[in-house]
Order: sequence, then C-alpha cells, then structure tokens
Amino acid sequence: MYTSSGFISFALRRLTGVALVVYLFMHLWVIGSVNAGPEAFDARLAFVQQPLFKLLEVALLAAVVYHAVDGIRIMVVHYTGITEYRKSMFYAVLAVSTLLVIAGGVPIIRFMLEG
Amino acid sequence: MSNPSTHPTATVRIQRFNPETDAKPHMQEFQVELKPGVTVLDALHEIKTHQDGSLTFRRSCRHAICGSCAMHVNGKNELVCNAPLKDRLDRNGRITIRPLPYLPIIKDLVVDRSSFWEQYLRVKPWLMPPADTPEKEFRMSPEEVAALNSAETCIMCGACYSSCQIVGLTKEYIGPHALLKAFLRVMDPRDAIPGARLADLDGADGVYRCRTIFNCIDACPKNLNPTLAIETLRKLAQKREAFEQARIERQKHLDEPIPAR
Amino acid sequence: MRVFQMQRISAIALVVFLTIHMIVVHYPPFHIDFDQIIIRMADPLWKAIDIVFLFFVLVHALAGAWVVLTDVQRFSRLKRAFAGAAIVIGLIAFYYGTKTILAFQPPV
Repeated sequence: MYTSSGFISFALRRLTGVALVVYLFMHLWVIGSVNAGPEAFDARLAFVQQPLFKLLEVALLAAVVYHAVDGIRIMVVHYTGITEYRKSMFYAVLAVSTLLVIAGGVPIIRFMLEG
Repeated sequence: MSNPSTHPTATVRIQRFNPETDAKPHMQEFQVELKPGVTVLDALHEIKTHQDGSLTFRRSCRHAICGSCAMHVNGKNELVCNAPLKDRLDRNGRITIRPLPYLPIIKDLVVDRSSFWEQYLRVKPWLMPPADTPEKEFRMSPEEVAALNSAETCIMCGACYSSCQIVGLTKEYIGPHALLKAFLRVMDPRDAIPGARLADLDGADGVYRCRTIFNCIDACPKNLNPTLAIETLRKLAQKREAFEQARIERQKHLDEPIPAR
Repeated sequence: MRVFQMQRISAIALVVFLTIHMIVVHYPPFHIDFDQIIIRMADPLWKAIDIVFLFFVLVHALAGAWVVLTDVQRFSRLKRAFAGAAIVIGLIAFYYGTKTILAFQPPV
C-alpha cells in the first residue's frame, strides 16, 4: 500500500463518487413517486425527511462538495500543469470543502433541531 | 582501539518471503550497528554477510545510477543505496523495508518486473531517426534540449511504476516510466514518428488511464515529473496532426544553425 | 468522444448546475412538499434546466461508474458489456427522470 496525499484524494474521490451514484438512483426513485400523484409524493418525502435522513443529508452534502472541489483541483492540474504544489492544493481542497460543508450543514442541523 | 559496542544500533524490519516454504510474507527484525555514513543498502549487506545469508535483494552499482535497488522504505519507494540509514530511522530507531508494492514478489525484496519491461517496450523507447540524417550533426535549440533534459535522466528503477495505484489495479496501464520515455521521444526533434507514438498513447491504457495521483513524482529518485509528461502528452495527442506536421517542417532544418533571437 | 473528455465536460456542467440546484432547491432547508415545488416548476425554463441537469448527472455518474469498474484488470474484458449496460441504464433513467420532471404540474 502506497499512501500519500494523492492517494487519499483519489480514494476519497472514488468513494464519494460511488456513493453519489447510489444516491442518484435513490433520489430518482423518491422524486419519481410524483408519477403516482401528489399524495404518494408527499408520503415518500415525509419518510425521507425524518431526523436520521437529515444527518445523512449532511454526509451527502460533504460527499458532493468534496467530489466537486477535488474535481476542480484535478481540472486545474490538467489545464495549468501545476504539479509542484500538489500537497498544498490537496489541503486547500480539504479546507474549502470543510468550510462549504459547515456553511451548508449548520442550517440543516438547525432546521432538524427546530423542526 | 575501537570497541564495536560504542555504536548505537538500529532495528531493521524486513519483509521476508521464501516461495518454497512460506505461504505469505512476514516481517523479521535485525539489529545492525549504526556506524557513521552507513546507507540502508550497507545495512542490508551487513545482515546478509553476518546475520542471515538467505536474505535476498537486488543491487548493483551503489551509486544511484543502475536502478537495481529500488525498495519500499518506510512507506516510500526509493533507492536504498543513497539513503542514509540514520535519516530513515523513526524515533525508536527502527526502519521498515519492503519490496516494491503492487508487483509479484519472487523472494524477500526481489519483485517480478516483467510487466514493467513489457510496458516499456510497448512504447518503442528507442529513437526513430529521420530517413535523411544530416552529414555532420543535429542542431537543437536550448528549449528543445531543456525538454529532453526533463526526462532523459530516468534510470529505470521502477520506483514510480510501483508507486502508482493504477498499476496496482491493472497491469494493462502503460505506466509512468514508459509514458515519460514516450514523452522524451515525442519531444525529440530528431524523432521521425511522433504522430504514430501519440496515436499509440492516445488510448484507454495510455495517457487517459492516469488518475493524477502524483505518486510517481514523489517516488522518483531523479526528481523527474512523469505526471507533467503525461499531461503534456494528453494535450499533444489532441493536436496530433499539427504536431506531426511541425516535426516534418522541423526536420528539414536539422543540420542548420539555430537562428539567434 | 473519449470517456475522459465526457467526464471533464459533464463535470464542468455539473459544477454550474449543482450550484444552482443546491442554492435554489435546498437552501435554506425547509420541509419539502408538492405545493412548494409546483410554484417553481410551473416555469418551463426550470423544467428545461432540470432536464439538462439530469442529462449531465447521468452522463457523469454512469461514465464514472464505468471508469471505476474498468480500472480493475479483471473487469477490463467486460468493458464493452459494461458500456452497453451503462447506456441502457442511462436511457431508462433519463426517460423516467424526464417523465418525473414533466409530472410536476398543478393538479387539474
């Protein structure tokens, strides 16, 4: 096993990517209930708006944000050829993702606690 | 009179594997004296000569130029012949040596590098000179030489190849070492077939298999940059025809002096 | 077009669309129910945006899954079968998703 910041970013990108593919199809299935009418839609949405799912939503947000910001980092490497600052860029990705997850996650948790 | 016990000792943990007796690799610890100026390779020699003659590893020149002794030391690939043992010890005075990862182990620290060489031959690593070579000499600009300098000091040690997780997943990937060599040939103004080379690399097993993990840069004992070479090849492959045409034009003037700017 | 380019182009599109999606649909968080969504979805432009978004999401997700699978050597001889499966799944999901987006109508 060869661990490095590059490998950690690669592994996280793959893990979040696979998780998001699974989520995408669950999301399609939940929203797809509107085909059966507004009542079915509201019933299925009420199920996924329980507190447990709010916590999962924060995890989902973290996965989306990390995957996106790390993807931007990879794209910057592709287009600029910057390889010298590879470690700093990975830490920058972690910092930016953390900030964005806090900015998005705190309202979700507050909403969950206040109902 | 020198007393050997005055030297501190270092604990060398080595991954052992004998295919005839062992089901899987195991770790073994040795104690060696930490004399001044000792390298990791010297420690391996010390163990092989005085402690356990069955310890198997590859080495040749001891000057970091033959590329035989790349190993996985404390989680990083490097040449053990120019690694000072003192600098590689953790605070408990221990060093961990394993064979290169992601490759089949033959015995102890020796790995099977056949996939490394197969992929190397696949990119035609030799120069293909133009049909009509200049009578006296090839003339190259400083920029062209600089591009070659960024790739030509590779010693084929395999440190980058076996640090790559994609190589760990699939041996169909050409690999950073061979892509760097292909980059060297593609950038060489004397090479006559850059278009065919780029066409060969422009596939799922070539430049598009790289996942930009950067391990190859970290591993290279010669401070080369295979990732940047792969990124460059990926861009060149997209404008292959234009690049090929520019090379044909360039080769019409190979024996002429480079105009001053 | 190569899968590599497909991933990059859809990735750039997703950064844009996902930012819009997160801000407009989920920020700040609220209890989602049919009536609230109807107000926004009544605009055909939102329906169009969501359909394009769906297209890029499916391209990125299925191409990504294909890359993750075919990076493993033992699956590499199945890469055509996986590609076929991804296209079929993508078409079904795109049909179902588009139908869903269009179904957000005020009840008649």
